[in-house]
Amino acid sequence: MAAIRGIELSKSFRHFQVLNRVSFEVKEGECYALFGPNGAGKTTLLRILATLHRPTSGRFEISGYDGLREKMKVRESFFLISHGSYLYDDLSVLENIRFAIGLRGGNPTHPEIKRALDRVGIGAFASLKSRHLSAGMKKRLSIAKAMLVRPKVLLLDEAYASLDERGVDMMNLYIREVTQEGTTVFITAHDRAKAAEVAQRAGVLNRGELRELAISELLTAHALF
Amino acid sequence: MHFFNVIRWIAWKDLLSELRSRENISSMFFFALIVILIFSFSFSLDPKTSKELMPGIIWIAFGFTGIIGLGKSFLAEVHNDCMEYFQIVPAPKGAIYLGKFVGNALFMLIVEIILFPMFILFFNLDVLEKIPMILLIFVAATIGLSALGTLFSALTVQIRAREVMFPILLLPLAVPIFIGAVEATRGVFSGDPLPLYLDWIKLLIVFDAIFMVVSFWVFEFILDY
Repeated sequence: MAAIRGIELSKSFRHFQVLNRVSFEVKEGECYALFGPNGAGKTTLLRILATLHRPTSGRFEISGYDGLREKMKVRESFFLISHGSYLYDDLSVLENIRFAIGLRGGNPTHPEIKRALDRVGIGAFASLKSRHLSAGMKKRLSIAKAMLVRPKVLLLDEAYASLDERGVDMMNLYIREVTQEGTTVFITAHDRAKAAEVAQRAGVLNRGELRELAISELLTAHALF
Repeated sequence: MHFFNVIRWIAWKDLLSELRSRENISSMFFFALIVILIFSFSFSLDPKTSKELMPGIIWIAFGFTGIIGLGKSFLAEVHNDCMEYFQIVPAPKGAIYLGKFVGNALFMLIVEIILFPMFILFFNLDVLEKIPMILLIFVAATIGLSALGTLFSALTVQIRAREVMFPILLLPLAVPIFIGAVEATRGVFSGDPLPLYLDWIKLLIVFDAIFMVVSFWVFEFILDY
């Protein structure tokens, strides 16, 4: 069964067409990596899936729910790790996590939060105000939140951005674990080699068109776009 | 249950952030203090004139103090893209509005409760036995102002001219609240029997209800596409 399905998705900003009838499917438990040059529309596509942008035409489904008509069900299904950290500077790491998960209806215990923070390598900073975190630590914190939410679909924009080498390995380990448990992961990235370690399928978005790629092609092609 | 938890989480987050940063409350407090000082040095009021003028002076201070605080209400949500998280989180948008409203109303009431003794002190007001009724008027007017202010703060937070647009949108609609608050406060200060100014309190309650219901309903369209 397809966990994510985009059907003829188009998106224009005024007269600039970013996506042109893009269709794709990502199966349950699969990791799909999306590549493309800057400004190709990767983030726009991801934000459509995350119900942040409305497509100009076309439709999409997440976990079988219609993205335009059943937004609440769709939002219950996915978790987005984006450029924004969604953190409040005056709250501690722990308080930020409690708040973010609390809004989703979750109530993780202190040991559960501590365990997730330890796994992403920021357990020692649980009581630190989030204003003191670096960009990489904020990204790790977002991964810890995703670990606690356990979504059916994980959307990762610029999956490896801001992460150091160990952070990238930790991210890939996490993606491998959750896909084995049945979570579907949709990532946008620039690092082909790293994405190829976890992705089962890939696509290149360029000039509004999506071209499917084999993973082997991802590693061997001289230039994707 | 999730609905009320969302309200609680948002109000908790706003109160905790404010308690730590004191950004809003301190600017609101000092503005109102300046108003009190200017008026107290401008007029030397006899008790009769004082009862006539004081309601207006009090509500000038509280009203503009409220505008300062309410206008900044959603600024914290823009930082780190927290507003985006409100959009994608599977939580009723009305509950998010009510959580912000509760936080705003509490800030305003705290400032009003701190400032009112200063009015008594600077203007020699003899109103101690009327404090419960005065508090009731403060609460009723604050609910209406916060209901509108929370909505317009969300509406204007993403636009460039928000500091101009916020009062332009808020003040005309807040006129019934200001009139009701001033007239009811004058009734109490003058020692009128309750039936003489009860209609003004009823007016406040009716507008509170209207603004709350309309804002609750409209908020979803502001936050979502």
